[in-house]
Amino acid sequence: MIQFRQCTVALGDRYRLGPLNWVIEPGQCWVVIGANGSGKSALAATLLGEGLIIDGEADLSASRVAAVSLEEQSRLIQREIERDDSDITDTVNHGTPVAEMLAETSQNPAQLDELIDIFGVRHLLDRGFRKLSTGETRKVLFIRAVTAGSDLLLLDEPFEGLDVDTVPKVEALLARLAQQTTLVLVLNRADEIPDYTTHVVRMDTGAMVQNFSCENVAALREIVRQAAGLRSTDLALPPPEETADTRLNDDGSLISLKAGRVAYTDNVVFQNLDWEIRPGEHWQVKGPNGSGKTCLLNLITGDHPQCYVNDLTLFGIRRGQGESIWDIKRHLGFVSTGLHWDYRLSVSARRVIISGFYDSIGLYQRATEKEEEIAQNWLDLLGLTNKGNAAFSSLSYGEQRVLLIARAMVKHPPVLLLDEPCLGLDEANRILVLSLIERICEEGATTLIYVSHHLEDSISAIRNELDLGAREAA
Amino acid sequence: MANYFNSLSLRQQLAQLGRCDFMDPAEFADEANYLKGKKLVIIGCGSQGLNQGLNLRDSGLDVSYALRQSAIDEKRDSWKNATENGFTVGTYEALIPTADVVLNLTPDKQHTAVVNEVMPLMKQDSCLSYSHGFNIVEEGMQIREDITVVMVAPKCPGSEVREEYKRGFGVPTLIAVHEDNDPRGEGLAIAKAYAAGTGGHRAGVLLSSFVAEVKSDLMGEQTILCGMLQTGSLLCFDKMVEKGVDAAYAAKLVQYGWETITEALKHGGITNMMDRLSNPAKIRAFELAEELKDIMRALYEKHQDDIMTGNFSAGMMEDWADDDRKLLGWRDETSKTAFETTDISDQDISEQEYFDNGILMVAMVKAGVELAYEVMTSAGIKEESAYYESLHETPLIANTIARKKLFEMNRTISDTAEYGCYLFNHACFPLLQDFMTQVDTDVIGRGLGLNDLGVDNQRLIEVNTSIRSHSVEAIGQVLRGYMGAMKRIV
Repeated sequence: MIQFRQCTVALGDRYRLGPLNWVIEPGQCWVVIGANGSGKSALAATLLGEGLIIDGEADLSASRVAAVSLEEQSRLIQREIERDDSDITDTVNHGTPVAEMLAETSQNPAQLDELIDIFGVRHLLDRGFRKLSTGETRKVLFIRAVTAGSDLLLLDEPFEGLDVDTVPKVEALLARLAQQTTLVLVLNRADEIPDYTTHVVRMDTGAMVQNFSCENVAALREIVRQAAGLRSTDLALPPPEETADTRLNDDGSLISLKAGRVAYTDNVVFQNLDWEIRPGEHWQVKGPNGSGKTCLLNLITGDHPQCYVNDLTLFGIRRGQGESIWDIKRHLGFVSTGLHWDYRLSVSARRVIISGFYDSIGLYQRATEKEEEIAQNWLDLLGLTNKGNAAFSSLSYGEQRVLLIARAMVKHPPVLLLDEPCLGLDEANRILVLSLIERICEEGATTLIYVSHHLEDSISAIRNELDLGAREAA
Repeated sequence: MANYFNSLSLRQQLAQLGRCDFMDPAEFADEANYLKGKKLVIIGCGSQGLNQGLNLRDSGLDVSYALRQSAIDEKRDSWKNATENGFTVGTYEALIPTADVVLNLTPDKQHTAVVNEVMPLMKQDSCLSYSHGFNIVEEGMQIREDITVVMVAPKCPGSEVREEYKRGFGVPTLIAVHEDNDPRGEGLAIAKAYAAGTGGHRAGVLLSSFVAEVKSDLMGEQTILCGMLQTGSLLCFDKMVEKGVDAAYAAKLVQYGWETITEALKHGGITNMMDRLSNPAKIRAFELAEELKDIMRALYEKHQDDIMTGNFSAGMMEDWADDDRKLLGWRDETSKTAFETTDISDQDISEQEYFDNGILMVAMVKAGVELAYEVMTSAGIKEESAYYESLHETPLIANTIARKKLFEMNRTISDTAEYGCYLFNHACFPLLQDFMTQVDTDVIGRGLGLNDLGVDNQRLIEVNTSIRSHSVEAIGQVLRGYMGAMKRIV
């Protein structure tokens, strides 16, 4: 059905994938594993017909492939951006509504209807696709892929960004689909490897190093977990350039939100939310997709415009009284999928880390020697010692993500906001990042606000929880 | 109301035309502080209005939006944009009297009406700002003596103004103070603080004048941005079809070709755009451009002369009074051209193919940009102004054509630009007929098709030197350096 024979593929300027020897037969379920940067997503892209074959042969003609992946998400968002003519029409464009996005690929209206309910996106049908949260976007992509009537379903990190309630539904859906169609799953986490896996491909530095049929799924999961243990967990965080002088609010809190509300003309995300963050009190924010976790974090960072109409006081500054946003960002370190998406530059990896000192995307000042040194220490810590000069956009998603986490931590900020930081990370990087987070909490100078859907990604230092889902029920 | 420019002495005209200086970053040490605590009210909430407002607020300034009662009652897009972003929205009557600075970011054609409505409501000693000088210079709008009048014009679309700010940077911005309305001498301080509030000071601020901005802006949009691209589109498409090139392919080559070609222009000037061609193609393009410049020079000069004397605006304002009869007639004609009505092909055209098969289009861009620049500078406009209004803006319009073809491009750009574009096209299209009879598909549609890409060394050197030594390239390198190199120095 799909065949690669001694195939080498060129993707982008210099990236070479191969040699690939791979045969996919109908009805199989392949799992692609490998460390961040090993070429898993590159392999997935090749299945979609991307890249140029420079050696060997590939036969993809017999199949229609539908994909759920960051690349697919990126492509659709890019298409939305291109269609957005707000600059010339001088209106603000809300983009293609979800209903239209779904209708575009759907072959079977009954199936579409069922999936809309499984994923719980009926209330989003009129909303612009671009306006969706991370998890909501994922769900729409999923529905599109499943209803497209394809021969092969390619899922790159299918569970990423989905809330706790949706994951079991998706697992059940995939188990059903495995009976009807061919699946290729690209996975970072051992726990996500499904029982119905029939075959495995392991990638390493752009080459397919293993290709075997899977007899024992439990053993496979162990192998993936073991790979993670190879990284040393004896960590010392590179210290910041200078210690921050952060004022507290009059009541001793770092951040105080009273009767917090985020609303648009067509819906209220949350309201009457009181929240106070005191120094050293670490928080986890939970809730279903679309409940407003990211909105809430963006209110704090100032990235959400409604921060100006809320009773929000941070570091002694009441928002909307003539302060500049940079006065706020100075005290924050932040990582989110939104930020990752915005960081679409070809700045070097080193500069990405240094930009954390300036709260900028890209670097517009000359870095000091001390900052350069600190950046190199972080690169060493992340196992990216020799990639300091590599263009950010040329690195894999996971490598980019760890760099952004370093960028968030580099000044040991008084408040560190991490919105699903482990999205896209392999087991080794995930454990590294979780260790870094524990360490920075131990240091005492940083207070953490953390969002994650994965139960196994919990941080022991966290004692406080804000559940936006429970509020909705109340 | 009389044309303001025509009321000036020659000495004053020359002084104002020739003003466009890159400001020292040190002048912005105070950033937006001069406007802290003052009330800024923006009229309307379109793309520039919203995005500038978001930046100004993030810089710590007090921003609200004044909309028409009907827009508020009907909850139109402008109302939604402002309220969803957490801004206070009110009627003119409610907000304007409280404003220290009123930002007029409405479309040019509405300026007289809007300013007349707003001026009586403005408080004593307040400030009115524009992002384009047509109303002041060509229409000769008289502003109350106690009001300071300034201009702050970011040189990029609204969304880019916002995106660059969020990144911690900004876009190049032009500022000006109206000589006749600076009663307390604080115009420059206000304009600088406003520019800094939008982040412009990080990318570079040009201190210019209302006069320079208008006279160069009109020239650029009429002759190269819209004019040449429109005429070129029609001529190239018709020629390809005449010579048997598949119409759908021809339409696609033209529609996306301008954008692809000018992308090279945006990053590295005419030099880079020409370097994208093979050596023989480059020499061909160069020769075609030289010929085109000879043919079109008089027309470009006429446009600049009419702009300078005020004849252009007078003629256009007559048509306004006639309910846009001519404008709408020409717009209708444009919707019916063969290029406009042909569907483009699904076939993929590679980036390089646009260059290789679009040699004539490259030549037209080179000729148009250089001519516009040369004529502007010969009329007293400074190199910096001329650069921004010729080369810099071309990719932006090319991008619009790529998305919308000509009819929509014209409908969505300002009516002033559209009117000027049609004037140019009416004269240029017949002017180039003879030239086009000599043109074949080797330079438009099919490519040179050469096996041997060798050229004469001396000739190539000559051509390269000529391209690189043009004044627009020299100033271009400097100005592009401020925009891009800031991102590259580190």
